[in-house]
Amino acid sequence: MARYDFYFTRLMYESGDWDVDQRMPSNILHSLVQYTTLRVDPVERIVALSDPVMLEAPFCYLAGHKLVQFTEAEAANFRQYVANGGFVFVDDCNHDIDGLFAQSFERQMAQLFGDDELKKIPNNHLLYRSFFEFDGPPTTSVELNGWGDDLVHDYLKAIVVRDRIAVLYSNKDYGCEWDYDFRNKRWYAVDNTRFAVNIIMYALGG
Amino acid sequence: MTMMTEAEAKKVLDKVLSLAKADQCIVQLTGGREGNIRFARNTVSTSGEVSDLQLVISVAYGSRNAAVTTNDLSDASLAAAVKRVQELAKLAPENPEFMPAIEKQKYKASDTFAQSTADITPADRAQAAADSLEPSRKKGLVAAGFLQDNIGFVAHANSNGVFGYQKTSGVDFTCTVRTEDGRGSGWVSRNVDDFKRMSTAKASDIAIQKAEMSVDAKALEPGRYTVILEPVAAAGLINMMLGGFDARNADEGRSFMSKKGGGTRLGEKFFDERVNIITDPWHPDVPVLPWDGEGLAREKLDVVKNGVVNYLNYSRYWAKQKEKQAKALPGNLIMSGGKKSLEELVKGTKKGILVTRTWYIRMVDPQSVLVTGLTRDGTFYIEDGKIMYPIKNFRFNESPITMLNNIEELGVPERIAGDEAAVIMMIPPMKIRDFNFTSLSDAV
Repeated sequence: MARYDFYFTRLMYESGDWDVDQRMPSNILHSLVQYTTLRVDPVERIVALSDPVMLEAPFCYLAGHKLVQFTEAEAANFRQYVANGGFVFVDDCNHDIDGLFAQSFERQMAQLFGDDELKKIPNNHLLYRSFFEFDGPPTTSVELNGWGDDLVHDYLKAIVVRDRIAVLYSNKDYGCEWDYDFRNKRWYAVDNTRFAVNIIMYALGG
Repeated sequence: MTMMTEAEAKKVLDKVLSLAKADQCIVQLTGGREGNIRFARNTVSTSGEVSDLQLVISVAYGSRNAAVTTNDLSDASLAAAVKRVQELAKLAPENPEFMPAIEKQKYKASDTFAQSTADITPADRAQAAADSLEPSRKKGLVAAGFLQDNIGFVAHANSNGVFGYQKTSGVDFTCTVRTEDGRGSGWVSRNVDDFKRMSTAKASDIAIQKAEMSVDAKALEPGRYTVILEPVAAAGLINMMLGGFDARNADEGRSFMSKKGGGTRLGEKFFDERVNIITDPWHPDVPVLPWDGEGLAREKLDVVKNGVVNYLNYSRYWAKQKEKQAKALPGNLIMSGGKKSLEELVKGTKKGILVTRTWYIRMVDPQSVLVTGLTRDGTFYIEDGKIMYPIKNFRFNESPITMLNNIEELGVPERIAGDEAAVIMMIPPMKIRDFNFTSLSDAV
C-alpha cells in the first residue's frame, strides 16, 4: 500500500517557464494537512512532462507566463494521462486571456483534443462543492488591480472526459495568489487556499 | 497675540470655569501661528501665515452634553459662550456613552517646543524653498514642494481641577522632483520639531537623485519580491494597523486583535521577535504632549514586545464596560530597529526592490489588515548589493501583519509624521521577504 494518498506533481515543459510561484505547493500541502485526513507527502515532486513517471501522478500542476508548445513526447504523455483519467490543473500566471501563455496553451489543447473541447464549466459544478462551498471560482487579488479595468474571470474552463474534469484551466493566477509562506495563512480572516483543497479533493474523486 | 503664556491661558480657562453653572465644564484653549511656503514648476506659488486662537467649552447636565467654539476672548464673549453652551446642553438628548470629566491628573512636561521654529521668518521660508529649488533648476529638473511650520500652545482645564499647559512646534516638508519629460520622479518627506534640524537642501537632493535615476524604468513581472522599504514607505502600511489596537474594535470583531467567537487576542505573538514598539511622550526624537485628547496623562508603555502585542487601548467608556483601566491614547509610536543605514541594507541584498514610497493606501480587509496601494517616486531593482535600474511602479496587496512576520533585517529608525502617520513615529527601514506586488502601475 502506498505511503501517501496524495503528492503534488509540478510538470516541467520545455517551451516556457514552468518554475513559477515556488511557495505555492508547500502552502497548498499545508492546507490539505490542516483540513483533510489525507496522508500527504510534504515534498513537491517536479517531473518532466516528457517523463512517463508523470502518468502515475494523482494530480499534476502546470503553469507559466510564456509559450506552451509541447514536444512530441510531452504531447503524447499529456494525451495519455488525460485518457487514463488523470487530472491536470493549469494556471495562467499572466491572468490575462490575451497573454502568450493563454493563447499558446489553448492552441495546444485544441491540437491535442479538438477545437471546442476546452469549455467554460458552470459555477454550480461539483468542483465548487467538493470540500468547501463556493458559488464559482474565488476572485484573486491579482485580478483586482484597482484601476477600474479589472480583468476578473468569473469562470474556469475545463476539458471533460467521461463526465470528469481532466484538465482544469484558470486565467485567475491562483498560483500567485497562493504563493506565500504557509505560516502567514493564520493572519487571513478567511484562508484563500481553501479553493485549492476543493481542486485536489475533486481530482482525487471527491 | 495668539501665542499665550501659561498664566495668560490659565486666566481665560479659570474665568470660563467660574462662569459655568452646569454639572461639569471642560475647557480647551489652543492658539499659535502656522506659516507656509509652496512651490511648483520651479517657482514659489504661495506663501502665508495664519495666527488664530480657539476656545472650546464643553458642559454637561447629567449625561446631556454640548460644546461651543469661539476665538473671541473678551469678557462679554466668554459669558455669551457659556450661556449658549448651557442652553444647548439642556436641549441635547442623553448620551448613552457619556463619561464624566476626568479627575485631577499629574502631568510630567515633555520637550515639545523649539525656539528655532518660533523664530522662523518669511525670509527663512523663502530660503528653505530656494535651497530646494536651485539645485533642481540647475539640473534642468522640475520641483514642487510645501514647507509648513507651526508653533502653538495647548491649555486645558476642567471643573475637577485639571489643568495642563504646554507649547508645541513642528515643521513639515515634502518635495517632488520630476524630469522635464515627466518620466523620472523622486519624492522626499521630512518632519522635525526643531527648525534647526531641517535641511531642505539635503532632503531635496534625495528627491533629485531619485528623479534622475528613475527615468527609463523597466517592467518587472508582478509577484512576490524581497523589498527594502524606506521608513516612510513602511510607515504607510504600519499606519493602517493602528486601529486594530483599539480594544472596542477588537472586542466587536473589527480588528486583527479580535478573537474568533469574541474577546481579544491581547498577549499573543503576532510578529517577528525583532518587532518592538513602545510609546513614550518624552522620547527625545519624537516628544509629544504628556496628555491625550481627553486630558488623561500619557505614560511610557510597551505596545509590542518581542513580537507579542501587549497593549490595547481602552477608551474611558469601553474600559468601564469591560472593567479595565482606561489609559491615555498614545501620541507616538517608536519601533526599534538595527544599526544599518538604508545603503547598508541595499549592499547586503542579493536580489530585491527598493521602495521609496507607498501611496494611495486603502483597506481591503480590516480583520487581516489586508491593504492595497501603489509604489511611487522611485522604485529600483537591486542585484548583488547594487541598485541596478529603475523599475515600473507596482500595486501591492499586503498586510502589515504579514510584513512584520517576513522581516529579514531592520535599519536605523527615522522620525515619520504627516500624511503617512496618524501619530508621530520612529520607523526603521525594513528588508522584507515575499512582499506581494500584484500588478503594474503606469504612474511615475
